[in-house]
Amino acid sequence: MKTSFRFLRGPSDGQRIQELKGLTLFKALSARELRELDELLHERSYQKDEVIFDEGDMGLGLFVVVRGRVRALSSHAALQQLAPEFGPGDFFGELALFEEAERTARAVAMEPTEVLALFRTEFFSLLERDHRIGVKILLELSRMVVLRSRRLLAGRQHLPTV
Amino acid sequence: MKNEPQPGILTWLAIIAATCLLLFLFQAVLWLVIPALLALVVYYCLRPMTRVLIRAGLRHGTAAKVVAGVLFLATLLVLFLLFSLAATHAASWKMTTRHYVQGGLDFLRKTEEWMALKLPSLRKSPLLMSSPANLNAVGEGFAQKYLGLMLLQTVHWLPSLLLVPYLTYFFLQEGNQLKKRLIRSVPNAYFEKTLLLVERVDQSLQSFFVGLMKLTFLDTSTLALGLWALRVSHPILLGLTAAVLAWVPYIGSAAGCVLVVLVSATDYPNEPVTTYGCIVLFLCVRLLDDFVFLPLTIGRSLRIHPVLSVIMLFLGAAVAGPVGLLLVLPLMGVVMVVAEILVQILTDHRLRARFRHANQLRLGLPGVP
Repeated sequence: MKTSFRFLRGPSDGQRIQELKGLTLFKALSARELRELDELLHERSYQKDEVIFDEGDMGLGLFVVVRGRVRALSSHAALQQLAPEFGPGDFFGELALFEEAERTARAVAMEPTEVLALFRTEFFSLLERDHRIGVKILLELSRMVVLRSRRLLAGRQHLPTV
Repeated sequence: MKNEPQPGILTWLAIIAATCLLLFLFQAVLWLVIPALLALVVYYCLRPMTRVLIRAGLRHGTAAKVVAGVLFLATLLVLFLLFSLAATHAASWKMTTRHYVQGGLDFLRKTEEWMALKLPSLRKSPLLMSSPANLNAVGEGFAQKYLGLMLLQTVHWLPSLLLVPYLTYFFLQEGNQLKKRLIRSVPNAYFEKTLLLVERVDQSLQSFFVGLMKLTFLDTSTLALGLWALRVSHPILLGLTAAVLAWVPYIGSAAGCVLVVLVSATDYPNEPVTTYGCIVLFLCVRLLDDFVFLPLTIGRSLRIHPVLSVIMLFLGAAVAGPVGLLLVLPLMGVVMVVAEILVQILTDHRLRARFRHANQLRLGLPGVP
């Protein structure tokens, strides 16, 4: 069977793996693990000022910024003051990866932006079938969340958890 | 998901109408629908195997090729065996079928005689008025009328079964890419809801098809064991056939029971107890199905109310015949999920406002989301 249905494919495999490897959240994954993870990632492009998700929406997964910038706006006092921004390599909406809850902030693209979305149920299915990948992502995620919490406690205006 | 709006009566009518319309359309391309459906079943059963191969170090494409290759060889082998079986036994099939139908009719006649003997008040009932001559004529006519047609239909369907491994390969190799492309084509405002919709359809189909395969295995094992204990010939083949016939809800189980009764009544014409034992066995397996096997396997994966299931079976049969009976419930399960999410999208004013805002941005107009 030689059919490869290439019309369904995106950029070349190596280029894509390099792109994913460059993102902080996935830096600990091997090429094989990145390939498996890539099956679950969804690419989205947003225009300047376009809403990515809204406060009060039911969160279904996290977003990783590949290109562009995203600002989080919230009615919650702490977040309102900070109005955090997320650039290439940063992720936001991670709370939705752990629980089915409403978004605590509105995420808006500040310029033409490309993001990768990781859906909660797909991530859980990955955790079940290959926990090594899941553990590596979760470790990196936890490390970043801890870092953000420390910075927040220290009063530094930097990327709180949304 | 919390606080989701439930579909109202109009949505339900739309779901039923959409299911019937799809069944009607599917009728025109049955040569593709049946292999595609079988390929979906095989895909959901083989997907875990592909993932095991990927975990073992194979690339996604290679793993899909290995699994599909094995499936292709297995299909070729089954087709070859079926064709050779058909070629060697074609001449005797007519005789064998007539023999078994006659055996069943003899059993019916003996039961009638026994009932007339034990319950004299029933002698004049229309049920017991049919003459043996009529029954014999039915037995003669059945094989003459239907067997040739059935064999012709089977031979007609066999080549299209070769599509099954090819379609399975496509689903294994590119199913995920196709899903991602589909989601990518959806406007940003509806992205997360679409993800949810695709996930739910995928989960519903997987639960249903994999559950169906497990149920078939359990039914086959239980029936084969029971038939073997009752000394009926070919217990595994009969158990498997009856379990596959049971894919058509309600009617399929009855058809399977009739088949086994025919075989038992012909094999043991002077031991009606064996035939009655087969009927009792079917009733027991039916109860086991309802209270043990179904909750363990399919469960309530399709979430269709039993009354609606029966109505839909009648509608399915009226619209698309036997194929309608087989397809109507899984198809309705998918239409239901799609309709539920569509209702959520259409009734969510925030999503619609966000969609309008994105359109305004695209056109260069200022707007507030």
